[in-house]
Amino acid sequence: MLLEARSLTKTFGAFKAVNDVSLRINKGDIIGLIGPNGAGKSTFFNCLTGDLVPSSGQVFLNGQDVTHLGPEQRAQLGLARSFQVPLSFEGMSVIENVMIGAFLRSADPAVARAKAMEVLTLTGLSAMCDAPASSLGTPGRKRLEIARALATDPDVLLLDEAMAGLTATEVQQAIALVRDIHKLGITLVIVEHIMEVIISLAEQVIVFHQGHEIARGTPQEVTQNEHVIAAYLGKRAAATAARGFAEGGA
Amino acid sequence: MKRGFYPSLFLALALAYPLLLSTPFQQRLGALVLLYAIGASAWNVIGGYAGQVSVGHVMFFGCGAYASLACYVHFGWPPLLGLPLGILASIGIAALIGTPTLRLSGHYFSMATIAVAELLRLVVTNIELLGGAVGLSGPVMPRTWLDLSFTSALPYYYFFLAVLLFVLWVTWRMEQSRMGYYLRAIKDNERAARSLGVEAGRYKLYAFMLSAGLTSIAGSLYAIMFGFIDPESGLGMLTSVKMLIMAALGGAGLLFGPLVGAVILVPLEEISNTLLGGKGAGLTFMAYGAIIMVIARFYPSGILKLLQDRLRPSAGGRQSDVA
Repeated sequence: MLLEARSLTKTFGAFKAVNDVSLRINKGDIIGLIGPNGAGKSTFFNCLTGDLVPSSGQVFLNGQDVTHLGPEQRAQLGLARSFQVPLSFEGMSVIENVMIGAFLRSADPAVARAKAMEVLTLTGLSAMCDAPASSLGTPGRKRLEIARALATDPDVLLLDEAMAGLTATEVQQAIALVRDIHKLGITLVIVEHIMEVIISLAEQVIVFHQGHEIARGTPQEVTQNEHVIAAYLGKRAAATAARGFAEGGA
Repeated sequence: MKRGFYPSLFLALALAYPLLLSTPFQQRLGALVLLYAIGASAWNVIGGYAGQVSVGHVMFFGCGAYASLACYVHFGWPPLLGLPLGILASIGIAALIGTPTLRLSGHYFSMATIAVAELLRLVVTNIELLGGAVGLSGPVMPRTWLDLSFTSALPYYYFFLAVLLFVLWVTWRMEQSRMGYYLRAIKDNERAARSLGVEAGRYKLYAFMLSAGLTSIAGSLYAIMFGFIDPESGLGMLTSVKMLIMAALGGAGLLFGPLVGAVILVPLEEISNTLLGGKGAGLTFMAYGAIIMVIARFYPSGILKLLQDRLRPSAGGRQSDVA
């Protein structure tokens, strides 16, 4: 077991953003977390990364209880993440951004630079390594997020809507990149809005709705699940769809 | 142009300055520029590189100044021997107040440092051993050369220049190391830095302690040169503000930024003090207020950054083409 969440609950005041969700991720898995806006998947994600402390439940990384460890300690233990809205270090060049990640495993700037260059080549950013990070557009910034996280040599990489805001072509390129990363032996947890991405990448999908897990299975199974359709389209629309639009016009 | 051209040019000019402009006023002005450059460069480590704006740095300056003169008054030591004690005390105080206050974000850290510095000023005003409100004086006549008490500013000038080079060397080493990269990352985006395994709290504290130790050196040098320290000159807020403004005007987070700021501001202040005499005391505060507004509005990254961008327009153009 690489990463495990045991009945995680996170409340904000009286509001239960995540309600008793468990998850077990083995080495080499690709897990997708989906759900409508406000379903709690980002909150759950942030409990896994250490950005939020769960109200109850536990998180284990490589068998170690990390529930109360911060993001920096989890990064040291092999967990890396990207941010939904890219948080590049704007005052630095592209390669320096990635070096910050690489410094986790070596204090030597020369070693960190070499590691960063290696990762930039993998992510297709090597041509612009000396450009300021602030000169990158959205696709570049999304790649930089991934490159920086990869430079920490993670066991598991959590991607938070890494493909939001990309064009169809860019999404295809990003999917190819994620496959390459998986081939390196890195376990992946993907939060994604775009169904196409989840269907083509994830082996197992967990669907969130109003803080609860409402379905789990292969992408094909969950997309046909009636609860999932209801959550995405609303109950009436789902019922209408189920009746084959027989009375839909009335 | 070679990378080391401007630093070499500065060093040559700095070495020649007191010989070319050799009136006592000019030599004293030169020594003061270097002294403030040391203080502002020390502030730059936490305020510039780590982006944690301390407005209470005078407490470390005061530590150094009081340590030097207290050692002379109570033990008869040369004030220079108090310098390492001041450094140790400053690092201790920085660790003590940095641990809780560096958790605060944004302006709260600045406010906390102001509060602690003012508190320290009031406490010292009431400690007889430290001279209370009257202050402490150094040796009136030098007993040996170790007292470093000279009538001419020339020896101070070269002594301060050597110390400034040391402070800049330490800062440069830090800038090139993992810690330098980490501080810039924390300044840019602490959340992202932490997600990459950067122990932000720990590195900010290291920077604060290093900065405090270096600032303390400036305080000791001040006490050695002027031979007098009281709560206002050693722990007054204006000194904190001066360090901050010099670094910000020149370029916070740049190695030579604080030096550029000191070269511009110290002569301005000295000349205006000479012209206005004692009447200008309140005007200094007003002038600093105005300078803060001008920096914030027109040069948020400092004059040196502005010059760098002007001198290398091709680099800026090329880089923005990449996107």
